[in-house]
Amino acid sequence: MADTPQVPEVNAPSRPQPHEKYPWPAEPTLVGKRIQRVDGPIKVTGQAKYSYDINRPGGLHGRILRSPHPHARIVAIDLSAASKAPGVKAVMAVLQPGAKVMFQGEEVAALAAATEEQADDALRLIKVQYEVLPHIATEALALREGAPQVFKDGNIKAGDTEEAGDLEAGFKAAAHTVLAGYATQVQTHVSLETHGCVCEWDGDKLTSWVSTQAVHGTREQFAKALDIPQANVRVITEYMGGGFGSKFGPDAQGIICAKLAKQAGAAVKLLLDRKDEHLASGNRPSSASKIKAGVSADGMLTAFDAETWGTGGAGAGSGFPLPYIYVFPNRRRKHRDIFTNAGPQRAMRAPGHPQGCFHTEMLMDELADKLRMDPLAFRIKNLPPEAPNAMWRKYFPIAAERFGWSKRHVTGDPTPGPIKRGMGCAANRWGGGGQGTKAHCEINPDGSVVMRCGTQDLGVGTKTIVAIITAETLGIPMELVRAEIGDSNYPFSGGSGGSTTAPGVSPAIRVTSGMALDALKAKVAPGLGVDAATLVASNGRIHVKGDPSKGLAWRDACKQLGMEPLAVDGQWERGLSASGTSGVQFAEVEVDIETGVSKVTRVTCVQDCGLIVDQLTAESQCIGGIIGGVNYALFEDRILDRVTGHMVNPNMEWYRIAGPSDIPTIDITLMNQPERGVIGIGEPPTISTAAAVANAVANAIGARIRSIPITPEKVITALAEREKTGGTL
Amino acid sequence: MALHDDALNVSRRAFLKTVSASSVAAGVIGVGESEAQTGPAPIGPGEVSVQLSIDGQARTLKVEPRVTLLDAMRERLNLTAQKRVCDRGSCGACTVLVDGKSAYACSILAIQMQGKSIRTVASLAQGTVLHPVQQAFCDHDGLMCGFCTPGFVMSAVALLESNPSPTPAQARAALDGNICRCGTYPRVLEAVLNTKGVRRG
Ligand code: FES
Ligand code: FES
Repeated sequence: MADTPQVPEVNAPSRPQPHEKYPWPAEPTLVGKRIQRVDGPIKVTGQAKYSYDINRPGGLHGRILRSPHPHARIVAIDLSAASKAPGVKAVMAVLQPGAKVMFQGEEVAALAAATEEQADDALRLIKVQYEVLPHIATEALALREGAPQVFKDGNIKAGDTEEAGDLEAGFKAAAHTVLAGYATQVQTHVSLETHGCVCEWDGDKLTSWVSTQAVHGTREQFAKALDIPQANVRVITEYMGGGFGSKFGPDAQGIICAKLAKQAGAAVKLLLDRKDEHLASGNRPSSASKIKAGVSADGMLTAFDAETWGTGGAGAGSGFPLPYIYVFPNRRRKHRDIFTNAGPQRAMRAPGHPQGCFHTEMLMDELADKLRMDPLAFRIKNLPPEAPNAMWRKYFPIAAERFGWSKRHVTGDPTPGPIKRGMGCAANRWGGGGQGTKAHCEINPDGSVVMRCGTQDLGVGTKTIVAIITAETLGIPMELVRAEIGDSNYPFSGGSGGSTTAPGVSPAIRVTSGMALDALKAKVAPGLGVDAATLVASNGRIHVKGDPSKGLAWRDACKQLGMEPLAVDGQWERGLSASGTSGVQFAEVEVDIETGVSKVTRVTCVQDCGLIVDQLTAESQCIGGIIGGVNYALFEDRILDRVTGHMVNPNMEWYRIAGPSDIPTIDITLMNQPERGVIGIGEPPTISTAAAVANAVANAIGARIRSIPITPEKVITALAEREKTGGTL
Repeated sequence: MALHDDALNVSRRAFLKTVSASSVAAGVIGVGESEAQTGPAPIGPGEVSVQLSIDGQARTLKVEPRVTLLDAMRERLNLTAQKRVCDRGSCGACTVLVDGKSAYACSILAIQMQGKSIRTVASLAQGTVLHPVQQAFCDHDGLMCGFCTPGFVMSAVALLESNPSPTPAQARAALDGNICRCGTYPRVLEAVLNTKGVRRG
C-alpha cells in the first residue's frame, strides 16, 4: 500500500536557475504584451486550410462502417456488393470473422468512392452478420449482482489503495463528519474539426494531412502500423480545429485511410462525421464517490475515507486525483475502474483534475456548512504551504476581493421571488512543464527570418508565441518573422498535451534564435570594429550595448550575409521553463426555482502560468477553459440508453454545449511569474469552474446537487426533496 | 433557416419523391404520397446541372439533387471557407448569406440555390484589407482554433448589415445559432459590438 503523495504532478523544478546565455529579457518589448495571433487574418478570411479542407486532385472519399451493437462477435462480412457499387475504388474489412466489437461505433469495414454520396450508398451494401452479445451500458448495470461479465477479467478492475496517516485517529479527532457521494458524467471532446485525415501515397511514401496534436507521434504510429520507415511518412497539420487531448495519433481511421489510399492508388479523405466522433474518438471518464470526512471543531481537516469508481468505457481506466489540493493528514482512498461497452476514454483537458476538484470542493463546502464557517476561510485554513507552484493562499483573497465574496449570503438565498443567487469557489493545480523540442532558424539576406519547429497549433496560439519569441530575441518586428510549424519534416517537438507545448517550445525558440543572433553578430562585428560580445539587438538594429548609434539597421546587417542565408539549429534547454501552476475561481449563479434552470452569471479567475508570453491569447485560453467548465457543470452529458447501449445524443443539439447566451461575464487576472519561465496554461483554467458553479448553485437554492451536469430536473428534484425533509442542505 | 418554400426552383412534391435522405426533407416527409403523382417531372436521382452564384462568381456544376450547398461548395468546387461540423443545422459553422440572409449551408440543397446570391467569408476582404468584422475578430482575439470563425463572421455580417449598432442582447441572439468549442464567445461578442463601418446590406 503506497503512501502516495497528494500532489503527484508537480515535477521539479518549479523555479529554475535562469538560463546562462539566453535568459528571458528583463524588459521585453513583445513577450507578455497583448499580441494578436499571427494566423488571425488567414483564419477570419477562410483561407486557412485545415485537414478537413484538403482536396487532392482525383481524391476519393473514405467511409467507415461501424458496429451498431455495443457488444457483438463478427460472424461474416460480405464486401462483394459494395465493391461493385458505382464509384467505389477500394473496400476493406477492418475486423475479421471471429473478432469482437466492444462498443457501438467500433470500426468494422471501410471503403473509398469517388463522391461522398457514392461512399454512403456503398457502405449500406456491406453485409455484416453479427452474433449479438450481452452488453453493459452503465456503471450501475456493471455493478449489479449477476451482471454479465463482458470483459475478459471481469467488469471491474480494483486499483491500489492510497493511504496516509492514521485514519482512525483522524476520525476520533473530528468534531463533525460528513458522509456524502458525488458524481460527474462522461463528456466528449466535441472538437469542431472531427478526427481524420487525407492520405496520399507517392510510391512507398505517404503524405498525410491529419487533424492531430502530435505530428511527430502520428508519423511514428503511421510508420509502425503500415510497416514503412518513419522517413517515408510526412504528417502535416498546418491548422487544426481543436483537439482537447483526443488527437494524438492516426487512430483507426487514419490507418484505414492510408490503406484505402494505397489500395485505390489515389488520395483518400476520411474525416469522421459528428456521430462517429462522439462514439469513437474519446471522452472524459465518469467519476463517482462515497466519502466520509472529518473536521475538528476549529476547522482543521482530520480524516478522509473514500471509495471511488468511474467508467472510461471498454477496457479503459477512470482514475482521478483525490483528495484534491487540501491537506487531509489522515486519509484512505480506493478506486475501481468499471468497464462498460462504450467508446474508450482519452485524455481530455486536464485529465482527472476536474473530477477530483469537483468531489473535493463539494465536500469542502459541506464541511464548512457543518462548522458554520465561511467556506473561503475554511479552505485557506487547510491549504498546503505556499510555494511557487502553490499560491492559493495569495490568490484566494485577491479573487475574493475582485469577485465581491463579502456579499455572499449563507446557504440559501433569502431574497423572495423565483430567482435565487449564489456564490461558490474552487482551486486548481496542474503540472505542465515540457522539454525536448528542437527548432531551426534561418536569417535571410533580405532580413526576413524563418523559424521552423515541428510542433502544432491546436488553436491555442503556438504559432504566435513562436513568432513573438523569435522577434523579441532578434529585436525585430514580428512582420519579419515567418513561423512555420505543423509538419513532421520540421525539427522534432512532442505532442501538445498536458500544457507542455508552451514550456517545451518557447525555450527551444529562445535558444535557437539567440544562437542565430550570435552568428549574425559575429558576421557584422568586424565591420563595426567591435567585439561581437558587445553587440545587442533591439528596435530593428544590431548595435553596441548602450549605444544604439554605433551599429547597423537589421536589414543592413543581414545584407552582409551576401547570398547565403544564415541557418542555425537549436533545442530546448533548462532554465527557461518550469512546471506547476495554481489558480482559483469564483462563480456566481442565478437559479430559477420555478423552472430549475441555472445560469452562470459571473466567473472570476486568478491564475498563474509562469512567464506570460502573450497576455491576449493567454487570457483567451482562460476564457475558453472556463466556458468548458460551464459546459461540464450545466450542459454536457453523453447518455447511453440503458437497454440498447446506444448513445442517444450523438449530435450537437441533444449533446448540449453552451452558446453565446449561456456565457457569464468573465474576469481574468493572470499572475505573471517571469522568474519561473514558461509553464503552460491549457489545462488549469478548466479545472475548477464546474466545482465553483456547483457550490454556487447549492448556495443559491439551499439544496445540494451532488452530481453534474446540474440539469433543471435535478434542481427541481433537489428542491422537492428539501421540501419533504424540511431542512436545508 | 431563413429560406422559404418558394426558394425552391423545383416542385417540392416532385423533389420529395426523388430525395429520401436529406436533412431538409426530414422535416416535411409527411406530405401525402398521392399528392406527388402530379406536377413537373422529377429531378434526379442522378446528377443534374446546377448554376450557382457564389461570392459574385457564376459556377456551373453537376451534382445529385441530394447534395447540400455546403458539400457542393466544399467538395465539388473546393471552396472550403465555410466548415462542416454537425451537418445538421445545429452549430452554424457552415453559415452563409443567401440573398443577404444567414442560412446553414449544410441544411439547404445546392439545387435550391439557383438564382440566389450566396456569400461566404471568402468574399469579405478587399485584397489584404480585412472587412471591419474580420478586423474586429483579430483585434479582440475573437478566434482560437478558428474552425467556427467563418460561421461566426457571417452571422455577424448578417446582423450588422441589417442593424449596424446592435445591443449586446441583440448581438447574442443573432449569434445564438453558432457554437464555438474553444470558448471564444465573450471576445466574439466584444468584436461584434465594436465593429465600426459596416454598411447596411
Ligand atoms: S455544419 Fe451546418 S449547422 Fe453545423
Ligand atoms: S475557435 Fe475553436 S471552435 Fe471556435
